[in-house]
Amino acid sequence: MATRLRLPELDWPMALAAGALLGIGLASVYSATTVPGMHEGLWAKQFLWLVLALGAAYIAASFHYRAHDALAYPLYGISLLLLVLVLAIGTSALGAKRWLDLGPLHFQPSEIALIATVFVLARRFSHPQLDLTRIRHWFPPLLLVLIPFALVAKEPDLGTSLAFPVILIAMYFWAGMPVGNLLLGLSPAGTLVLAFLTNPRGVSFWAALGVVLAGLIVLLKPRRLMLVAAVLLNVGVGMMMPVVKDHLHDYQLRRIETFLNPDQDPQGAGYQIIQSRIAIGSGGVLGKGWLKGTQKALSFLPMRHTDFIFAVVGEEGGLIGALTVVLLYGVIILRGYRLSAVARNGFASLMAVGLVSALFYHVTVNVLMTIGWAPVTGLPLPLLSYGGTALIVNCVQLGLLQNVAMRRQEH
Amino acid sequence: MRSASPARRDRERRFAALVTITLAGFALIVLGLLRLQVVEHQRYRQLSEENRIRLEVLRAPRGAIFDRNGELLADSYPSFNIVFRPMPAESTARTPATVRADWVHRVSALVEADSSTIHQLVRAANRSGQTAILRRNAPFAILAGIEEHRAQLPGVEVLVGPLRRYPHGTLAAHLLGYAGQINDRDLETRAAEGYHPGELIGRTGLERSFEGTLRGQDGAEYVVVNAMGKRVSTLTEVPPRPPVAGRSLVLTLDLKVQRALEDAMAGVVRGAAVAIDPRDGGILAMVSRPDYDPNEFSRGLTGARWKALTGDGSNPLLNRAIQGQYPPGSTFKIVTMVAALREGVARPETMFQPCYGSYQFGGRSFGCWKPSGHGSLDLVSALQHSCDVYFYQLGMRLGLPRLEATARALGLGGRTGVDLPQESGGFIPSADWYDARWGNGHWRKGVILNLAIGQGEILVTPIQLALMAGEVAADGRALRPHVVLSVGDGPPATPPHPLQTGIKAEAAVWDPVHQGLEQVVAAGTGTAARVPGLAVAGKTGTAQNPHGKDHALFVCYAPAAQPTIAMAIVIENIGHGGTFAAPVAAQTLRQLFLADSLQKRVAPAVRPDTTGGVHGD
Repeated sequence: MATRLRLPELDWPMALAAGALLGIGLASVYSATTVPGMHEGLWAKQFLWLVLALGAAYIAASFHYRAHDALAYPLYGISLLLLVLVLAIGTSALGAKRWLDLGPLHFQPSEIALIATVFVLARRFSHPQLDLTRIRHWFPPLLLVLIPFALVAKEPDLGTSLAFPVILIAMYFWAGMPVGNLLLGLSPAGTLVLAFLTNPRGVSFWAALGVVLAGLIVLLKPRRLMLVAAVLLNVGVGMMMPVVKDHLHDYQLRRIETFLNPDQDPQGAGYQIIQSRIAIGSGGVLGKGWLKGTQKALSFLPMRHTDFIFAVVGEEGGLIGALTVVLLYGVIILRGYRLSAVARNGFASLMAVGLVSALFYHVTVNVLMTIGWAPVTGLPLPLLSYGGTALIVNCVQLGLLQNVAMRRQEH
Repeated sequence: MRSASPARRDRERRFAALVTITLAGFALIVLGLLRLQVVEHQRYRQLSEENRIRLEVLRAPRGAIFDRNGELLADSYPSFNIVFRPMPAESTARTPATVRADWVHRVSALVEADSSTIHQLVRAANRSGQTAILRRNAPFAILAGIEEHRAQLPGVEVLVGPLRRYPHGTLAAHLLGYAGQINDRDLETRAAEGYHPGELIGRTGLERSFEGTLRGQDGAEYVVVNAMGKRVSTLTEVPPRPPVAGRSLVLTLDLKVQRALEDAMAGVVRGAAVAIDPRDGGILAMVSRPDYDPNEFSRGLTGARWKALTGDGSNPLLNRAIQGQYPPGSTFKIVTMVAALREGVARPETMFQPCYGSYQFGGRSFGCWKPSGHGSLDLVSALQHSCDVYFYQLGMRLGLPRLEATARALGLGGRTGVDLPQESGGFIPSADWYDARWGNGHWRKGVILNLAIGQGEILVTPIQLALMAGEVAADGRALRPHVVLSVGDGPPATPPHPLQTGIKAEAAVWDPVHQGLEQVVAAGTGTAARVPGLAVAGKTGTAQNPHGKDHALFVCYAPAAQPTIAMAIVIENIGHGGTFAAPVAAQTLRQLFLADSLQKRVAPAVRPDTTGGVHGD
């Protein structure tokens, strides 16, 4: 941005869409926090964060991404340390430890860890000797993701923790893993969930598992080693589950169920969902107009300016406003994937896929949550929700994408 | 490598896949928006403009607690709370109104509460959006006043919520424990268990150890209310979730035994008593003094009252029956005698040096409680008269390891594992402990003399003493004290597996012990425990302690021939066990056996008057 020569090399549609979303976000946070109450006037703080975030985006775009490549492991190490610190000395809110207070800084390390993990994965996957048709090569990336995933899940922050496997899968895919292998590799996770939700001793569970596995094998015709591994893993998980389930205490089971489905708690999440649906639904096609949201119930929705900001957009902007926001996200995400496709450098291309997939995950899960089609997991809406860490991290992500855009011709 | 064209084609295909997934996700979002904002728009607009949705919590009643005969010990009943509920819809218009001085003044006058308290509660509620309870368990007069003025008191409502009730007041208060409204700290730490503000949570006793059983699961329903906060209808979109009542507990406790023991302990300032069934380890009664009324906690304690209960030096909330640790005094001679017989160190007729009022050992003089001395005694008479000099010599011959092993086998020196929280373990010193404390071998062998008569470092809890008496009564069979007989309508739980192994020994060991204990009551130190027509076996204890006068102790079981009850009584800082603790046992047993109640019901086969002649004076 500093010199005129570089201006045309930015991905302008993406930059403009991001700018528009930031503007809409600030306006919505303003609307949500002008109502008298606990959060009154927070929009001013958000404005300051925005200035900082734009500065961070500029810095992220300026350094050559080679620097990120080289610094990937140190950054990853630091972010893991921060995640451990959260569990040790973090501050809790609503029953979960997610925040770290370091003097004047108050932030969520999980968001930072997400970017660092994208860096190390991009570095790993762009290694010239990598051959994803070999099982042995699958494990290092898996391990790199499992550590931050487990640490964030422990907080507990289900929503953010699931972003880690999402970027892993996206990057396995983009790095060229055969699709069949990817599906077979993922199948034990599916078995685990299925076994938890159904009776793992039942005939139907095993019948379903058998049919799905057989289908996958017939369709994909995997190599023998792969086939044996997949069958053993799935059957192993299926046989372990009854034992595991029996050995869990009642309260542990309850905890896992709440973890999987926070919506069960009607006084907490359920109430928010209802209020959020009423807000969006009552907005209609045209919306009630900025600052004119009458669903004042939202003023008692503690998260209206953070996780449920989309409800404010839907109420005041109506279908038109909501679709505009969705469209703007669509522009960023599709331009981002396009960027990955055209970037010539392996690291840059993979980094872009990881960052964009994380963004896609956040946007879809958050918006589906506000309309009641996804569980309430405490995930902010990128660029729109109130919150300093998230805003800076999201802007840095976009800065990194522009970084790739400016140097897409380089090898 | 990547320049080859198949790789390029693969990349394009993969890019197309990513685009497809993205579009699919967004299509789902668009569908959802269309449904809410176009298809169902009218309904949601109506909900947002004319009516309001509110969540009503349907409180689950907490499980009741019954004694073994189905007598009610604790239950929940509906009570009327006056609450302030901040109305979301009026957040801007009403919030200022509710903190105005005249509103606060009127409300505080109506609910008969301090106006600054009301002001604070309402302000906090407006800020958090959570309902605040202004007056718990309001009497009818206040309810009527509120209903009359409801129209002018926006936000004020009457809500029904379950309240914990203990119909017998202080009776068995420590065993039952109490349940109080959950505090902020527990709400935070136990969030995963789904606790909500205003819910009851067990704090002590059974209410705490069986929290998971007694607590039900609150239900919820969404209701549509009008502008005045009156309910218009139930929201059909989300089906209501009915509350699941907590399960009830049936205890081994027997209300009649509990009453008898409470009555007998009525004058005790500080102390505890436990009665146990020596046949299965079920707790029949448990008393701790001073006591408190758990109903106070249900109604909500004032800060001053809480301070009075906890700051008081005598600590009424402490369950001395399982938490109080005392030197056992001469009640421990039972352990020494059992150990000596089982290890073959002495026989019932064995005599040692006669007692002249003291015993010389290691250059020190160890006194007997009777300065004039007991003369020559055999083992059984030594127990009967509680002769210290005899037991010093017994302890010497036994040695610490064997004495310690028998004490542990009889349930001392560790938690009994009773199903009540916060039990203390007591303490039985071992040679290792002395080594660690004084250095290897650098401790006087004379400690065994003191231990043999229950002084020194030994500490026991009343429930351990009762367990010891019960195991002796049951000829060494291991017992596990327990309070809960069954949960809900389920079958009686099998008594829990004992923690320690008990003592396997033949009648040759037990007969002299039973005989000696009967003699204690019939013509020894425990004659104050005599009950006409009932053979009682017991042992007195008088424990020196650093806190003032001696503690009085008494352990016993009855009827001696086929015991159905074993008891331990401890009274702090009062004097001799035979003078102060034994009469408590006597009064309890008299009430139970002369009224012929326990007799008939729990031990139909026993004839209590047959033993009197056998072991007479």
